[in-house]
Amino acid sequence: MPEVMLEIKNIYKNFGDLRVLKGVSTTVNKGEVVSIIGVSGSGKSTFLRCMNLLEEPTFGEVWMEGRLMTPVDPYLREETICATRTFKNLVAGGMDRDAAIKKIKDEDLLKEKHPRAEGPEYQALMKKIYDENHIDINLGRQKMGMVFQNFNLFNNKTVKENITLAPIKIGKQRLKDAKKRGEAVTKTPDDIEKEANEKAMQLLTRIGLQDKADVYPSTLSGGQRQRVAIVRALAMEPDVMLFDEPTSALDPEMVGEVLDLIRSLVKSGMTSVIVTHEMGFAKEVSDRVLFMHDGVIAEEGTPEEVFNNPKNPRCREFLSKVLY
Amino acid sequence: MTFLTNIAKIMSRYWQVFLIQGIGYTLLLSLIAVGGGAFFGALLALAKRSKLKILKALVNIIVEVVRGTPVLLQLYIGVFAFPLIIPKLSSMPYIYSVSIVLIINSSAYVSEIIRSGIEAVDSGQMEAARSLGLTQRTAMLSIVLPQAIKNILPALGNEFIMVVKETSLASTFFVGELMTAYLKVKGYTYLTMECLIIVGVLYLALTYILSKILKAWERRMKAHA
Repeated sequence: MPEVMLEIKNIYKNFGDLRVLKGVSTTVNKGEVVSIIGVSGSGKSTFLRCMNLLEEPTFGEVWMEGRLMTPVDPYLREETICATRTFKNLVAGGMDRDAAIKKIKDEDLLKEKHPRAEGPEYQALMKKIYDENHIDINLGRQKMGMVFQNFNLFNNKTVKENITLAPIKIGKQRLKDAKKRGEAVTKTPDDIEKEANEKAMQLLTRIGLQDKADVYPSTLSGGQRQRVAIVRALAMEPDVMLFDEPTSALDPEMVGEVLDLIRSLVKSGMTSVIVTHEMGFAKEVSDRVLFMHDGVIAEEGTPEEVFNNPKNPRCREFLSKVLY
Repeated sequence: MTFLTNIAKIMSRYWQVFLIQGIGYTLLLSLIAVGGGAFFGALLALAKRSKLKILKALVNIIVEVVRGTPVLLQLYIGVFAFPLIIPKLSSMPYIYSVSIVLIINSSAYVSEIIRSGIEAVDSGQMEAARSLGLTQRTAMLSIVLPQAIKNILPALGNEFIMVVKETSLASTFFVGELMTAYLKVKGYTYLTMECLIIVGVLYLALTYILSKILKAWERRMKAHA
């Protein structure tokens, strides 16, 4: 039984009237590499951004290592639906249990924005599920590294500071919290800074940019920036890496160096979700490929299945355009 | 020729009124207005970014009213209305009420400067910081604000120059700044044109020096970016 790392349950995302995601679910296991492909506007980037809640899903739940990052979605559980007044009224009106649940799900009848309307039993149950499972959103994010299309290196920090900022800030905060709880701490804030700096230099050496440690990102090439962005995410020692079109903003001659770094990362066993337009790369490194179309996962399978023998007509059409 | 000798005569007799009292009060009022404006403007900008709709609406109303009415009108209202609200003010010189009005006025403008300065920072910076697990507060303080300040400070400098000129309206209440100095000396000497030229040159010198200082400062900031 593979260990589940990231679980996405029935995510919907609306931007005003625009429905971008219409019920997307998937599970990413430990060590697995998942690529998401699809045309622009199919919702693949939004899906990825929902995984670490940079976009808050309108409905649905995100679970990271068995902990809930989003609010509880009552539609996902029969018990929560059964606890609502809406359900009780339907049953009292003579409907049987399964029919009532189906009707509520199909017609979106719960007043989840106004929990009071659904009665105290529902409120208590929702709170119980949340309290038992939720994790602080920042803690969850610390376990997920994110790499952006536009690198998003901090312009006001040097390359090394870019990498050390989060480990130092968060390390010091953890130290403070531990002290507050009265735990014995062996480290000093200076230790944390020293460790973070050493780690940053190691990471920079790994990508061959150790001599760029003290320059500002604006002096780096696109490929160098993206590689720094990747090791910045790695410095937090995440359990899963999310790549949002990591090579789309790069000049062609720089795509290779970034893909090489991602490849070596993936080979070392890093769990990854990669949104990409590089079909050859997706085919090569992925364990599983998701094809998204119009806000849903239209096709899913091993790279061989999806690339060589696509079943969905949209997926066939898409691949015939991008694979030549 | 008599024009220039008149100016020289006025300056030798009344230089204290122009240079010490006039420029002094003008700079003092401007500093109070921009200093207070920066502080309260930052608060307004914060309020505008908050999630509370009421707070947002309130700030919007303040900003729109201040920007949509003449400063002179605001000064009149302030000078006559504030003593009704705070009775203590009625026994104090007008300069207190005038200062409060100028602070409110400049808060509204500064809040817009700060807001647009923060919004001009690429949203990817905040996203990247949050994606690493930093809190909103830390991300704001260590990543977004330092970059926003580079946008804010030059605009704040321009606001300061604007306020230096706007303080002239405070002469309506004879508070002692440059324009009041003009009114006074004109009253003593009946030499209108000469006094106007003196005050004009002084305003010009003030704003010119200020803008040069700002330019140098901006260049230094750019060098550090």
